[in-house]
This record gives sequence, C-alpha cells and structure tokens, in this order.
Amino acid sequence: MSTPILTAEHVGKIFTARGADSVVAIQDLSLTIDEGEFVCLLGASGCGKTTMLNIFAGFTQPTSGRVTLRGRPILKIEPRCGMVFQSYALFPWRTVLGNVEFGLQMQGVAAAERRRRAERFIEMVHLKGFERHYPSELSGGMQQRVSLARVLAADPDVLLMDEPFAALDAMTRQTMQDELLTIQEASRKTVVFITHSIDEAMILADRIVIMSARPGRVKTILANTLPRPRRADVQLSPAYAALKAEVWSLVQAEVLGHAEATRLRSD
Amino acid sequence: MILRAAIGLVSVAAFLLLWHVATTAGWVSGVFLPAPGLVAKVGLDLIRDGELWTAIWVSSGRVFAGFFLAGAVAIPLGVVMGVWWPAKAIVDPFVSLLRPLPSITWIPLTILWLGIGEQQKIAIVFLGSWIYILVYTLAAVKRVDPLLIRAARNLGASDLSVMTRVILPGALPGILSGMKITLAISWSCVLSAEMVAAQTGLGALIWQGKDWGNLPQVLVGMVGISITVLIADAVADRIERLLLPWERHRR
Repeated sequence: MSTPILTAEHVGKIFTARGADSVVAIQDLSLTIDEGEFVCLLGASGCGKTTMLNIFAGFTQPTSGRVTLRGRPILKIEPRCGMVFQSYALFPWRTVLGNVEFGLQMQGVAAAERRRRAERFIEMVHLKGFERHYPSELSGGMQQRVSLARVLAADPDVLLMDEPFAALDAMTRQTMQDELLTIQEASRKTVVFITHSIDEAMILADRIVIMSARPGRVKTILANTLPRPRRADVQLSPAYAALKAEVWSLVQAEVLGHAEATRLRSD
Repeated sequence: MILRAAIGLVSVAAFLLLWHVATTAGWVSGVFLPAPGLVAKVGLDLIRDGELWTAIWVSSGRVFAGFFLAGAVAIPLGVVMGVWWPAKAIVDPFVSLLRPLPSITWIPLTILWLGIGEQQKIAIVFLGSWIYILVYTLAAVKRVDPLLIRAARNLGASDLSVMTRVILPGALPGILSGMKITLAISWSCVLSAEMVAAQTGLGALIWQGKDWGNLPQVLVGMVGISITVLIADAVADRIERLLLPWERHRR
C-alpha cells in the first residue's frame, strides 16, 4: 500500500510586484506524492514549477491552499525536504567533506560519526579521493554530486531537485541520471524532480506531472510504465518511443493551446 | 619580471645619485636636505644603539593593539548590523557622524581622558580604525550569496549557525581585504599621535629629530616607517592567504 508523504492542496501563488500587474504563478494546484515515489514536474519555463518546489521547501508560502508533509502543514523552511539547487549552492570555504558534513553538524552529530557518514555518501556519489578539495577545484558535474551527497547525508524525508542537471553537458547529465536512479532505487527516497526535458522525466520518474503555464496548474498526471530497475539506455526500447509519443502529444497540445490563448487575447 | 626589477633598481640608484650630487655640489643646502650618505650613517648609528628597533617595536605594538581591538568590536557589530536591520538603524547615525572625523581630532579628548601613555596611543588607533573595518564588514556581509543562506537553512541551520558558519566565512574575503586597507590607516593614526605627544615610537623619533635640528634622523624615521609598513603589508598578505585557503584556486 502506498502512503502519501507530501501533498499540495489547492495551492495558489500570486506574485505582486510594485508598479506592475500581479502575476498568478500557480492556480489551484493539488497533488499527492507517495512515500518512495519519484515524481517529475514537467513543464516549460515560467509554468510555476520552481515556485511549487520552493513552496514544498518552505522557502515561500502559498497565497492560498496549503502543503503538508506527513499530514503536517509546512509553514517555514523545512529541513526534512532537502533541496538540490540547479546552481549547486555549495559553501566555497568548505571542502567536499566539510560541505557534506554541514547538515549533520547542524543536527549535532558528533565529529567522528559525522565524518564516517559523510565519507559513505562521498563514496556513493563517486568522489572518493576528493574529500579535501574545494568546490572551485571541481567540475560542474562533480559539484552537483557534492550537493547531492550533502543533501543525502542530512537524511531528509523528501528530496526536492530543481533542474539539477540542466547546467551540465549531455554526457555528464546522462551519467548523473543513471547514478540518481541507482541511489534512489537503493534508498527508496521520495523525490520531487523538476525538469523541462521530456526525456529526463521519462528516464527518471514513476509519475510525470505535466504542468500548464500561466497560471501554473496540473494538466495531466501520467504513470510511467517503463520497467524498473531503469537506466538511461531505456531510451532505446520500443516502449519508450510509444510513451514519448503520448507525452509529446500532451505537451504539444499544451504549448499550442497556450499559444492560441495568447493570440486570442492579443486580438 | 627580472627586467622590471632591474629597471626599478636602476631608477632608485639614479635617484640616490642625483640626491648625492645635488647635496654635495651645493645645489641644495644641507640645512634643507642632508646628503644620503649622512642619512645612512645616522641610520646605522640608530640601528647600532638599538634606538630604531625600539621605535619600530613600540609603534608596531600600539598599531596592532588598537587595530585588533577595532576588529574585535567592528567585525561582530558589522555582521549583526548586516543581518538584523534594527541594529543597523541604531548604529548608522553614529557612523555617519563619526566617519568624517580624522583620528587626530580625537587627540585632545583622549589625552584628557587617558594621559599621554600607551592607552592613549592605542585609543587613537582604535578610534581611527574601527569605523572603516565596520563599513567594509557591512559591505562584505551584504554581498554574501542569499542562496547559500537558503541552502544552510534547508540543511537545518539556526539563526546563530547561519551567522557564524555562513555569513562570517562568506564575508571573510571582503572583511580581510578591507582590514588590509585599514591597517595603513592605523599606521597613520599612531604616527600622528606620537608626533603630538610621545617619548617613544617612530613618530616621536621624527619629531625629536626636528626639535633638535637633526634632519638626518627625521629622514631615517620616514624610511623606517616606509619599510615597516611594507613589511606589515606583506605579513598581512600572508595571513590573508592562510585564512582563505579556498580562494587560492580561484585566481
């Protein structure tokens, strides 16, 4: 049986800027995410998916509706929803080890134990031997691995990932996707992953939430039936092509519908 | 690099030669400018009897005491002002009023309060330095990437942890480069204090030279200041690099 862990209930978010019209970023968005599930929010830029992730993390509060973690509303920054940022957000003055230890240090874990756990996660993301390096000495892919290890070491209930691989080159991205799949399949962590890439969503997700833009809301939720354990080479299977056609038609209808609506409005 | 150094060396040698010729040939009277040889001789005498070392030692001690006191007050204050706006609102008017005051304007009051001993010299250095360190700290704190603060909070950091483990290290490069600039200001504070009222120190050495008509001693004192401040700068650079190991890879 699946248990819900993270929910959004009729969430709305309106941004009001001085001297400008207010923007409805999200409207009446409801979503239930189950324990251990890998969910991708898929949508074009400006569809409010990052705003939704920030609401899950407690960085911003919704204008209406609410979000809950294990039934409790999220009202402030929630460390049990660990965030992996697109731009890594590593502490430049801390070594790889120091960055990965940060969350444990904040939890008051003793130094020796902290070190032991951090080393385990550094090994998991294949950075053994780089413990004493500073982030500025590492490539983008390696920095994102550190960021992933840092969040995993803090052991949150949910991983929130905001287009974490968008800044990486295609080959590194594929490797990172494979590694994330391996880690998630082993740890059964709940993951909410934001992307604008149909392929990425299909490789990673159990469920794909296709979002519509302006205002952002859930258009369709699609179960990803591709078999697990899964690797990036799933893209070569015939089932993949069939599913992609389906996702593509949904996304295209959304994009065209949006274009149509914009055209009518300007007439 | 070697060529640059060689040109610099030749340039200094040419200047010394011109100075030597100008004073020995009588173009410039020795009353206004002593010959470089004479300055060197007086300098050697002052080194031999230990007077120059004592002066450098005493002035350096005053600078560092006042400078570190200023840092100890201004850095924590700057961090708190940077993260908590009411603190900034309280202190800001005083910063605006005190900043235009040169440190020498504090000399009469400090002499009245503290006499003309060590405490007064240290007070002058402190009063002339703390506001600069505060202003640089505040600017550095404002430049800390807000995303890092967000990431730290997401990893469970408390307000205090955010201040000591994110904002302080994040602002440290800016604070240290501001402190290096302030160190030169601290030196000019101590020298002006020593010229007005002191028996010891580089400033006093220069002022005594002037009082006794010993012009070579005045020049020795000036050269002594130059070299001491240069060495202090080099040491500060070294300390900066030791404190910021992560910055080494960026350049």
